Amino acid sequence: MDTSFFDFIIEHLGQFLSFTAFANLTVGHIIMICVGLLFIYLAIAKEFEPMLLIPIGFGILVGNIAFSPGFKIGIYETGSVLNYLYFGVAQGVYPPLIFLGIGAMTDFSALISNPKLILIGAAAQFGIFGAYCIALALGFSPTEAGAIGIIGGADGPTAIFISSKLAPDLMGAIAISAYSYMALVPVIQPPIMRLLTSKRERVIRMKPPRAVSKNEKLIFAISGMLLTTFIVPSGLPLLGMLFFGNLLKESGVTRRLADTAKGPLIDIVTILLGLTVGASTQATTFLTWKSIGIFFLGALSFVIATTVGVLFVKFINLFLKEGNKINPLIGNAGVSAVPDSARVSQVIGLEYDKTNYLLMHAMGPNVAGVIGSAIAAGILLSFLM
Amino acid sequence: MIMQRKFKHLFAGVIVLLLVVAGKSLLAQGASDLKFNEILVHNESNFIDEYGQRSGWIEIVNSSYSKVNIGGCFLTDDKNNPKKYWIATNSPETLIQPRGFVLFFADNQPSRGVFHMNFELTEGKTIYLFDANGKSVLDELQIPTGQKPNVSYARISIDSNEWALHEQTTPRSDNDHSRHATAGEKFVQHDPAGVGMVVVAMSVVFLALAILFLVYLAIGKLFTKKKKTVPSSEAKEEDEGMQLSGEINAAITMALHLHLEEQHDYEDTVLTIKKVARSYSPWSSKIYTLRKNPRI
Repeated sequence: MDTSFFDFIIEHLGQFLSFTAFANLTVGHIIMICVGLLFIYLAIAKEFEPMLLIPIGFGILVGNIAFSPGFKIGIYETGSVLNYLYFGVAQGVYPPLIFLGIGAMTDFSALISNPKLILIGAAAQFGIFGAYCIALALGFSPTEAGAIGIIGGADGPTAIFISSKLAPDLMGAIAISAYSYMALVPVIQPPIMRLLTSKRERVIRMKPPRAVSKNEKLIFAISGMLLTTFIVPSGLPLLGMLFFGNLLKESGVTRRLADTAKGPLIDIVTILLGLTVGASTQATTFLTWKSIGIFFLGALSFVIATTVGVLFVKFINLFLKEGNKINPLIGNAGVSAVPDSARVSQVIGLEYDKTNYLLMHAMGPNVAGVIGSAIAAGILLSFLM
Repeated sequence: MIMQRKFKHLFAGVIVLLLVVAGKSLLAQGASDLKFNEILVHNESNFIDEYGQRSGWIEIVNSSYSKVNIGGCFLTDDKNNPKKYWIATNSPETLIQPRGFVLFFADNQPSRGVFHMNFELTEGKTIYLFDANGKSVLDELQIPTGQKPNVSYARISIDSNEWALHEQTTPRSDNDHSRHATAGEKFVQHDPAGVGMVVVAMSVVFLALAILFLVYLAIGKLFTKKKKTVPSSEAKEEDEGMQLSGEINAAITMALHLHLEEQHDYEDTVLTIKKVARSYSPWSSKIYTLRKNPRI
């Protein structure tokens, strides 16, 4: 009796040990846990996009705890809690909610006061389609190439939204790549900006933006939505929510709603989005050659977008009179990493002229980039889906 | 009075017109969207039914974008006997999905279920699909002679009226194989390098944002014009004198802020959770609970 009980205990202990993460651990899991720890380190020690990198980094740790399948634990197991939370990512629910919050916290005054800056936001979208061409040449399928290209939009929610529609299998890699490079904007962009501009161009002073009335802001929120979505209806989930959030802010009569959208709502969605995107990088599905290709193409798309943005400003300057010229250092802000890329313009601008503040000017192309990348996303959906 | 009568007639006319249009659209979404899509007369090594048998079959397609129930309609190979095979109405399987298909086996075994007809397919004969009234022909098809085994006779695509022999049969699916390619794959067939995508997509992005640019340029001009319409010259002089740049405004604001900060007095009150010597305090009194509305 005693012996059989002992055997019973040994057998179940063995079973328990086979269920532990130690028993199921692979080299891939260890690599991914290291990546998660690196993200957390960068967020805390270097303060690179901590709001994003901490949830994603911790999500990577959560997603790479090696478990025995069948217990409804993993993010890809139907019925698991993580799977329910991941629904918002897989079905593209979270990105429009993030856009609602972005709309509620964005002041479009810089754009409205100097509308020509909108065009810089359009030029920088070349990064998306340049990366699309290269991805096609590297053998990715058209839908995968489109989803990878959108990394160049430098817009995490848009990247997740598009990849969930075009290439759900690559969503984890694309989202991680997009957010990583967004965090690395202060590292990627400055050398390109210095390389493509002369000393004289870097000290160009721009006219201070004029004051924009409340009515102009209201018209912007409504007409912006109507005009852009009439042209690209497939961008409606993102653009509709962006301008709706902005209307809540600018109307002045829905302060509570605007506060919720830009405060608790965006915080909750960011937590869920970051954690689940991180957790979706299970080593078993994430560590592939395709993921490495995506990281390479993501970096390339940022480089292309920055280059084209800066060169486009130089091109526009050919047609502008002295005194009306645009400082090409704000060309990088056409990628929609709000507000990091605008901050880069400001920092580099101050390096060459301590009294030349470019932040407000750079915010114009920066928010135009958000609109531009949402439009580009709509085009990709229309053509490839 | 005459006007009133005219209005009534006009109103009645509009109602009748609406009913006609609505009726037509309802009809359009009904059985009239059902049609033959593919037939196989000689089944030697082709599709096997749920009884493990091979027989000739007829595929009917719902060409509309809404569900259509085929239950109640009739299938026949004899125009003089339109009600030869009645399709039962109480089966959920007779509800055909939008652009969906349904297969009827011509095995002369009606006892095997709704989808097993009481006749077999014969070359040269015409098959008919009758509406539930047994009078309106929804579709008809003459079976060409010389049918080969396992080769079906099918429409080129759902919306086409052209028929052809298909060596690769497609029971319960679209006959047009090229349609299975995704939009992206089709796009790349025409534009393998992606240059077309770059040109078209960038043009659309530029167009959209250029429209925004033009609209806001116009709106901006409108608003700045409005501001400039200060008629009196005195006011203008005064305005010019008062015009300050954003930087100066920011500097004034900062100076005022610092000045007010300096004037702020430091209070020596200590906020603590330690028990104070005086036990009674209006803050801890029950009469001042949150339920009590403050007196104004």
